[in-house]
Amino acid sequence: MHPILADPRRLLWYELAWLAAGVGIAALLRLTGQAEWSGALEFALPICLVWSFVAVSSYYVCRSLPWSQRRWPVALGLFGGVSLLAALGWLGLGEAWDSLGGLLLRGKPFVALSSPGWVMYFAAGFALYLLSLLAHDVLVAFESVQAAARREAESRVLARDAELQMLRTQINPHFLFNSLNSISALTGFDPAAAREMTVDLAQFFRRTLALAERERITLGEEVALCGHFLAIEKRRFGAKLQADLQVSAEAAACLLPPMTLQPLLENAIKHGIRQVDGGGTIAVDARVADGMLHIAVVNPVAADDAPPNAHGVGLRNIRERLAVLYGPRARIVWQRSPAQFAIEIHLPVDKESGA
Amino acid sequence: MTSSPRLRALIVDDEDLARRLIREYLQGHDDIEIAGECDNGLDAVKQIGALSPDLVFLDIQMPRLTGLEVLELTGRRAGVIFTTAYDEHAIKAFELHAVDYLLKPFSKARFDDALARARTLHAPAAPAAGAGLDALVARRTAPLERILIRDREQVHVVPIDQVECIEAQGDYLAIHAEGKCHLKPQRISEIEEQLDATRFLRVHRSFIISLAHLQAIERPGPDRHAARLRSGKRVPISRSGYEKLRTLV
Repeated sequence: MHPILADPRRLLWYELAWLAAGVGIAALLRLTGQAEWSGALEFALPICLVWSFVAVSSYYVCRSLPWSQRRWPVALGLFGGVSLLAALGWLGLGEAWDSLGGLLLRGKPFVALSSPGWVMYFAAGFALYLLSLLAHDVLVAFESVQAAARREAESRVLARDAELQMLRTQINPHFLFNSLNSISALTGFDPAAAREMTVDLAQFFRRTLALAERERITLGEEVALCGHFLAIEKRRFGAKLQADLQVSAEAAACLLPPMTLQPLLENAIKHGIRQVDGGGTIAVDARVADGMLHIAVVNPVAADDAPPNAHGVGLRNIRERLAVLYGPRARIVWQRSPAQFAIEIHLPVDKESGA
Repeated sequence: MTSSPRLRALIVDDEDLARRLIREYLQGHDDIEIAGECDNGLDAVKQIGALSPDLVFLDIQMPRLTGLEVLELTGRRAGVIFTTAYDEHAIKAFELHAVDYLLKPFSKARFDDALARARTLHAPAAPAAGAGLDALVARRTAPLERILIRDREQVHVVPIDQVECIEAQGDYLAIHAEGKCHLKPQRISEIEEQLDATRFLRVHRSFIISLAHLQAIERPGPDRHAARLRSGKRVPISRSGYEKLRTLV
């Protein structure tokens, strides 16, 4: 669709510009002594109005030569040729309107130009069409810049969605295969425990899949998911792993993106508890205060084992996810002391509407 | 089988259930005796030294030290059966060097199979079993992030960015880091291959320097160059080393 005809506001400005051009032509005719004011205006304004709709065709001329593949000799030739052709039409229209329109409305031509007058009129038509071409050119360039920006924004959104999807359905193969190995070991001496672990594993994956489909889940649902996760990890690591989850009822009702807490626990075990002789306790504290949901996870780490960015990738992922979803309203901070790692997430409180 | 001597096995895994499974699988094999168990890499280094077991069941992903680091430090090559749940890099390397490994969870049949293979390799007339593992340990997931040094019963872990230069001294490497010097039995060409080539440069037959610790290049005489490191230490630069350094700096 033509960008000017499609937009009433643009069309209005466009027509005003053409009327101004009409006044300009009338003034030119008056100043060069070719016609009187009234005749010149009656002659030029209707022609410019009609011609404005012919001139929109320059949009398609500009589009046929996109900036990126434009060679200047070709462009100049095309623009000059088309303008010349248009000026011929403009001359024909002028002659016809002057004689026919004048005859019908006034009984005589509006201006009855001399030959030099018609040459001047012709030149003005050429210049106007050329001007229209240049104006449309700017418009096309402007449009393509906007389209590129829009495409870029769209592709960013798509890439982000794909990444989120990937994050959500990501199944940690280490966790899966090690858990299956533990179940295999348990079947030999504690079949009941093996069965429980199988159920926990199934529940964990089932919930992960179900929750990952949703934009937001309640912290309570996430904590239930983490319960299965921790039950499995406790079987694997035995007494080394203790967990202390303190989640207030108000906090449990808050909405947050799925798989926000679980990766934190996974990190706490992988980089913390597992590396510490004798293990330790992961403390989770979730509460609502001042309109914000605060989630804190604290776990011991091995003092001598300090790969500075071992937590890095996973935490950066969470930070980016929260930044995408909440912008500056979400905060995530972490801190490592010699024997402890602490991470805090602060989110704006968001509750299920009508629930 | 009854005529052959009993094999002594060490089980290394940080998960109790995983060790327990191997114990259970070993029950049917009267020729194998469990010499010990470890739940981390450091302990494994000590136990391999103290017990010199015939067989080691070695998990790869462990706290403190990985399975491959345990092998590097102990020099152990034969009689190792790796176990891992999932480690793409390690598995690729195992395949490449024809090293046996067990993927968790594994069946009793697969376990027996690995054991049978280990037994034939342990027999007196066995072919050199260590060749594949040697290459595997030497070429393990480069670039190196930390250097491990065994000093009798102690294991020092030196993060790679603390290393300022490495000097060949006979059969040993002198690793200079934070004012200390650690000795490690290794060839300089071997560690050169393991290091990140964008951070370390062999500037001399006997010297590798860290570019991050390089402060200046000095010219003590015509056609002679030396590197001055941030610590003040000076390292000679050979002519070819100077050429390499010039293209990098």
